[in-house]
Amino acid sequence: MNESEIISRMREAGLGGVGELDTSAADPFVVIEADSLRAAMLFLRDDEACAMEMMHCVTATERKASIEVVYHLCSYEHHHSLTVKVICERPEGGTHDNWRPAVPTVADIYAAANWHEREQYDLLGVIFTDHPDFRRILLPQEWIGHPLRKDYIYPSEHGGIPLELDAIPLYMEGGEEAVAAKKAERPAGEPLNQPPSKYSARPDAGGKAPESSEGKVNNSRDSAH
Amino acid sequence: MGILNNTLPSNIATDAVDGVIGWGRKSSIWPMTFGIACCAIEMMAVYAATFDLDRFGAGVPRATPRQSDLIIVPGTVNAKMAVRVRRLYDQMAEPRYVIAMGACVCGGGPYVKWGYNTVKGVHKIIPVDIFVPGCPPRPEALMDGILKLRDKVGQDEVFRRRSDTAKDLERRYGMIK
Ligand code: SF4
Repeated sequence: MNESEIISRMREAGLGGVGELDTSAADPFVVIEADSLRAAMLFLRDDEACAMEMMHCVTATERKASIEVVYHLCSYEHHHSLTVKVICERPEGGTHDNWRPAVPTVADIYAAANWHEREQYDLLGVIFTDHPDFRRILLPQEWIGHPLRKDYIYPSEHGGIPLELDAIPLYMEGGEEAVAAKKAERPAGEPLNQPPSKYSARPDAGGKAPESSEGKVNNSRDSAH
Repeated sequence: MGILNNTLPSNIATDAVDGVIGWGRKSSIWPMTFGIACCAIEMMAVYAATFDLDRFGAGVPRATPRQSDLIIVPGTVNAKMAVRVRRLYDQMAEPRYVIAMGACVCGGGPYVKWGYNTVKGVHKIIPVDIFVPGCPPRPEALMDGILKLRDKVGQDEVFRRRSDTAKDLERRYGMIK
């Protein structure tokens, strides 16, 4: 079967929320509403003529007005495949900080989706409701934010590990006392004091520029005498 | 021997003894079995037959940090891995040496701009002796780094008092050589 035949078969079976086949993209896809996603996936897996036993990939894309979750399905038996999208509209004023789109999980239908959904949560902040083991998969558990969102603010450190290019090495000039003194100067909760490099085009890392040149550290190895 | 370490003045006798000890140490460097990302593939090539690091006495990677003198950090160090790199370094016995292999560990490499969780250079975490840049460095480049490290190890003071340079490095990195 080709994609449009699969879709008309889904319609015949009485599944709601199934959109038209969109062939404008290189990879034709069908948009399914989030509410009917689980029923559609169950049908695609269990129906004799569809028999989509395999889910390659769950991925997500952030667009201006939405976040799209994309499922790639295929059938070994019939050698056909289908790309399914769920589009979560961005609410008014929805940003990285206040908007987490929610999609029902398919991890109990396709076991492969388990880790993939966790990855989409980790990197794009998509919530998969009723996921059996919903936590971050790549980044440390205590990481703040979802880095692949367009309006993500880059961290300058994580748990004391400097992440800025200009960061002071943990073994800085002056030995451990100087490091301890530097730490004490910094009020609790402040990020490590690294301003982004002047060559850096990264978004603002939330670091603070040093007030005087005194706090500056020479990282150049040539200054050993 | 421990109490004599770095206490004697530098003269022809101590220089000669240190020279012999240094020659012995530099000819039997034990690297640690450790690889993080793509650079590790090049490092494996250096250990293997074509490039044969064993010619320089550093060809047998040890499987534990307790037995190794050298940690080659080949690959991207991210926030999660930095903790492990630091722990492995801390488990190594003194004297210990570090080679930063690849653009990633020399200063961020391809991830310098958009790497949200990449440590921009492993020298932010552990003191580095030799930097080998390249993405990935050619095996010859890593071998050159190891030859430079051999020179450095061969010049270490064992009985002699530590030179100003050594003291300076120690102060800089807060470590004991
Ligand atoms: S420097 Fe290049 S080859 Fe080496 S770990 Fe980084 S990306 Fe990979």
